[in-house]
Amino acid sequence: MPSYTAPLRDMRFVYHELFDAGDITALPGCEDATADLVDPVLDEAARLAENELFPLNHSGDREGCRYQDGAVTTPAGFKAAYEQYAQGGWIGLACDPQYGGQGMPATLNVLLEEMACSANVSFATYIGLTRGAYRAIRAFASEALKDRYLPKMVSGEWSGTMCLTEPQCGTDLGLIRARAEPAENDGYRISGTKIFITAGEHDLTTNIIHLVLARLPGAPAGIKGISLFLVPKFLPTEDGEAGERNAVTCAGIEDKMGIKASATCVINLDGAMGWLVGEPHKGMRAMFTMMNEARLGVGIQGLGLGVSAYQAAVDYARERQQGRALGGTQYPEQPADPIMVHPDIRRMLLTMRAFTEGARALTTWVARQIDVRDHSEDPQARKEADDLVQLLTPLVKSYLSEVGHDAAQMAVQVYGGHGYIRDNGVEQYARDARIAMIYEGANGIQALDLVGRKLPAHTGRYLRRFFHPVQAWIDANTADQALQPFVLPLAKAFGRLQLATGQVAQAGLKDPNEAGAASSEYLKLFALVALAFLWARMAKIALAKREGDDSGFYDAKLMTARFFVERVLPQSGSLFATIMAGGNTMMSFPDEAF
Amino acid sequence: MQAIDKVAVIGAGVMGAGIAAQVANTGLPVVLLDIVPDGAKDRNVVASSALQKMLKTSPAPLMHPRNAKHIQVGNVEDHLQWLSDCDLVIEVVIEQLEIKQGLYRKIEQHRKPGSIVTSNTSTIPLAHLVEGLPKSFQRDFAITHFFNPPRYMRLLELVAGADTRPEAIAALRTFGDRLLGKSVVDCKDTPGFIANRIGILWLGAAVRFAFEIGLTVEEADAVIGKPMGIPKTGVFGLLDLVGIDLQPHVEQSMLATLPEGDLYREIHRPSTYIERMIEEGYIGRKGKGGFYRLNRSKGGKVKEARDLETGEYRPAVAPSLASVRAGRQGMRALVEHPDRGGRYAWRVLSHTLSYAAALVPQIADDVHAVDQAMKNGYAWKRGPFEMIDQLGPKWFAQQLAKDGLAVPPLLEQVGDGSFYRLEDDRLQYFGTDSAYHDVQRADGVLLLSDIKRGAERVAGNRSASLWDIGDEVLCLEFHSKMNSIDEGIVAMISKAIKIVPSKGYKALVIHNEGDNFSVGANIGLGLFAANIAAWLQITESVKQGQYAYKALKFAPFPVVGAPAGMALGGGCEVLLHCDALQAHAETYMGLVEVGVGLVPAWGGCKEMLLRWSNNPRHPKGPMPAVSKVFETVATATVAKSAEEAKSLLYLRPGDGITMNRDRLLAEAKAMALAMAKDYAPPEPRELQLPGSAGETAMTLVLNDFRRAGKATDHDVTVGKILAHVLAGGNTDPTAAVSEDKLLTLERNAIVSLLKTPQTLDRIEHMLETGKPLRN
Repeated sequence: MPSYTAPLRDMRFVYHELFDAGDITALPGCEDATADLVDPVLDEAARLAENELFPLNHSGDREGCRYQDGAVTTPAGFKAAYEQYAQGGWIGLACDPQYGGQGMPATLNVLLEEMACSANVSFATYIGLTRGAYRAIRAFASEALKDRYLPKMVSGEWSGTMCLTEPQCGTDLGLIRARAEPAENDGYRISGTKIFITAGEHDLTTNIIHLVLARLPGAPAGIKGISLFLVPKFLPTEDGEAGERNAVTCAGIEDKMGIKASATCVINLDGAMGWLVGEPHKGMRAMFTMMNEARLGVGIQGLGLGVSAYQAAVDYARERQQGRALGGTQYPEQPADPIMVHPDIRRMLLTMRAFTEGARALTTWVARQIDVRDHSEDPQARKEADDLVQLLTPLVKSYLSEVGHDAAQMAVQVYGGHGYIRDNGVEQYARDARIAMIYEGANGIQALDLVGRKLPAHTGRYLRRFFHPVQAWIDANTADQALQPFVLPLAKAFGRLQLATGQVAQAGLKDPNEAGAASSEYLKLFALVALAFLWARMAKIALAKREGDDSGFYDAKLMTARFFVERVLPQSGSLFATIMAGGNTMMSFPDEAF
Repeated sequence: MQAIDKVAVIGAGVMGAGIAAQVANTGLPVVLLDIVPDGAKDRNVVASSALQKMLKTSPAPLMHPRNAKHIQVGNVEDHLQWLSDCDLVIEVVIEQLEIKQGLYRKIEQHRKPGSIVTSNTSTIPLAHLVEGLPKSFQRDFAITHFFNPPRYMRLLELVAGADTRPEAIAALRTFGDRLLGKSVVDCKDTPGFIANRIGILWLGAAVRFAFEIGLTVEEADAVIGKPMGIPKTGVFGLLDLVGIDLQPHVEQSMLATLPEGDLYREIHRPSTYIERMIEEGYIGRKGKGGFYRLNRSKGGKVKEARDLETGEYRPAVAPSLASVRAGRQGMRALVEHPDRGGRYAWRVLSHTLSYAAALVPQIADDVHAVDQAMKNGYAWKRGPFEMIDQLGPKWFAQQLAKDGLAVPPLLEQVGDGSFYRLEDDRLQYFGTDSAYHDVQRADGVLLLSDIKRGAERVAGNRSASLWDIGDEVLCLEFHSKMNSIDEGIVAMISKAIKIVPSKGYKALVIHNEGDNFSVGANIGLGLFAANIAAWLQITESVKQGQYAYKALKFAPFPVVGAPAGMALGGGCEVLLHCDALQAHAETYMGLVEVGVGLVPAWGGCKEMLLRWSNNPRHPKGPMPAVSKVFETVATATVAKSAEEAKSLLYLRPGDGITMNRDRLLAEAKAMALAMAKDYAPPEPRELQLPGSAGETAMTLVLNDFRRAGKATDHDVTVGKILAHVLAGGNTDPTAAVSEDKLLTLERNAIVSLLKTPQTLDRIEHMLETGKPLRN
């Protein structure tokens, strides 16, 4: 069976050394997030993930959720673990103290999220949905709704969901049919059927707060006629406790490929009481707040699973003995060498390591920007941070979900035939990782978001927040001889990204199909360059600190960085060639010839 | 041809003063008279205050302040004898028949025999005006109906009386066309002539149906505006602009004179809603607000619109009508759309267009005159008959019948055909005789659109084309979005330079018929490139532009620029590299780059330095020219007319000015051909520039502006970089600076500015709001 140990050393490196956490405490509201508070929090979160969540991962997958008469039972141990998690204040760790949160920075929270996802991604979905709903309510709901619902959600007593999808409408939310009719108490009666609702019904909390997209009477057709409503499973009583049952019910759960312990529900609304969140017909705006949070969360699921898969593969590659090293026997005392000696196994292990460590740096960078966006007093700094978050969100969601998937597949490969056996645990990672590439906007949609919205926004202003710092960093470090092995490949890949960006923008202006055809490869190229930038910065730190470091941490960091720039980053060349080839061969292929 | 060398304008109100100013803009002497107010100390006070006001009004009636000297002010009691040497007397007094006739009798006593007298009346029939006046007066009398403001509105309606001498009409037509630059349209002596006759019904219908169908003012204007090719003020925005209080007067005077059974009588409904607005002072932009207002009460500026039911103001909302979106496919898609916008569009258009069709030949001889009048008098993109052609005349007639509206005979006459057609590449219109006739252009009018019809371009790409305009002259036309200068235009300039000599052309004219010659470089592309830190590509594209403009300047054949409208930034720079310009009088040139945090870098700084240091009237030494250019460029000064451009040296002293835009290309071509005889390209020159001492001097000026709060920090940054370029960099004042050295300085300057976030913010703001950002 795989094991999981939270990569605390690397997390501290990213948190304190790469993104200089000292700066975080300078942000209003984040003053308390000093090292002497952050480090014990990380330790405790690691303990919880390793000892409470991880042991439930395999059993949860085996057992799955059960549905009976409208009720959903989570696998054994989930409720107890959830209570521990909630009572420890983990759910509201990065939430506003006004509603009972701890006000910790997002930069810290993403590391905790990663641990939870590594340990038990099904479990993490229940927490993640509450966070998304919290954000949308806090940003758009009335003060009364906020006061009534947020404290219970922050404490984890109540959980949240987002109800978007309907049988006829997935990616295209303009097709939504759920209706909302004005009703008593400034409320609305909401009717319709929602499907694929993660955490839509379960036994972990005393109440479930659904955020539901629906149409008001006379709403404009399509996407501009959708409003967002808060629909609780139980209507709160005067004193704020879960009271009368609302007309929102679970009609069943899906039998899925993975994340089996996460309840994926069909939710029926039969004139359920709800309240408007935000303005009428402006539901998409509020929804995107929730969605962006959720998209980052899905990227972190990929990262988390990638880390678990990597650890499992390393353990197995160390133990499993097969054949002899190509260059001569390494462990003569054993009947065979551990498979770790073989180049192709090492290729997979280092690929997983380079991706996951790079991905951790990326999520932490984005979280760091979220902290600036949410806390800084300087409007310009807030705007710049928001621009970068907007730009990088599709990258995190799409690229990291692929990192997780690829790593899980590699872990299965390292395990060989044993990887295919359920009792050995790694095939669960492969199944659990698959959904992240699909939900919260399939990866193809993320790529379209990048080229269709994020690139042209304000004539490329979001891009500036990435391209200028990278160019400046390259300029500042080209003269550094020791850094040449990192700066030069970065500069080369960056140049390709610049050319590809110009090409995609220009070709896309003339023909949107051209932008669409290039979008997936373009997103990958962009993500690779982002990782290369972070790897180069990490290498610079490692170079400066390796002298006198006996732990080997910085040496390993440096070697992984070299592996990345030498063996992974060259993908930028093939991606670039594909992008520049244009979409004509795809788009001119006759439909009937398929 | 009867000469018109001196003009008198009687009546110095807004229209009279505006007409006098436009006459003064031609350089002719003009007498401006008005009444003597009771007990006035200064007996010329009305006319002289009008003259003072002219110098302050914006948009300016005068093309150059010095034109005021052509205007001699006086009064109708003491100075009528001044009429004795005037060839034309234009009456622009109050719309009261007795007053006008009284004045005519006095004019008759003083005017030069055979001189022409006209009235600018918009409501009184000519027949009434001359009733009872001597035959000699009637023979010399006509109506010249100008539109407000007379300098800027291109339409001049010309009405001859039964007895008016044809020579007088011919003289007026020539005067209006060539000197005043107007599009002269012959009208019949009927109420409202052409433009107001149709325009007032259109306005009335558009207001009434908006109320009846229940559109918001924003929705109505969105339907009326772009989809119909009408200025974006639409109907309610237009009423706000002209003054809502004016409407009842206009309506009443129309009702007083229109024939029985006229459609307008049916459309017109007195509106208590509007009456109340007028009573309460909500008369439009000049009052407390109108259908829109800017609410500044909460600190900011909130655009508000008036609810047509409640009469309350509320924040304006961008309308979202499917019909308006559908209208991008054409007007037919708009009027056929089932939503309220589509129904509204149909009701407005069905009434307006059928009205127009019913009025030919009653108000004008042909449909083309009607279209010209609406396009030039109301700034419609398409005239009524062009709109009917777009809808399909037969379909339109069927729909009218379906709605129970009368189908005008002319529409039945045209049947399956259309009001315009192309015959052997000539544009023809459908006459009331059911035959097609060529659209006639006056002598000396050459339109690129006529040349292009059916012709094949010599070369071209998405942004620019080359056309053979006859007599071995090639024309370079820009047609990118807003004629902004992009790679395509630069490429076509280079192409033109090769094609002219290789294909046996003698000269090149740069001209287009867009609203604006060019609004400058495509800064969107530049911003995007800067955002992705593509500095090498940016440097390269600046260089490409510099090379192309330089090649234009030193080409072995004459290049004549023929601009009209705005020629800004890179669009101004291309003109600065021409050998000569023939500019439309309404050309607005300027190097406005600092507004978006940049400096001219396609040779604009260099060319302006060359011009000012070449100026014989300027003091010697390197600094005066540099200071002058710095002053012009650092403040992004835009010339508000071609004449003003001469003072700023955007135009050279020998450059020509054409009053009538339709004559611009012909005159530019003639100029190019004249230059082509023994043409020698200019020699590259060297300049003496002050170097760092000069830069310091300009920096001091900037610092003073900063201290006085007249410049922002970034203004100073941009100004200093401009000063560095203009001073010749770190040059030794005794050394000569080559043109190429200046180009390098310009290039380095613009790239360094594109690296500043403030410049990028300015560009973004300009692209998104159309307004400069002061940061």
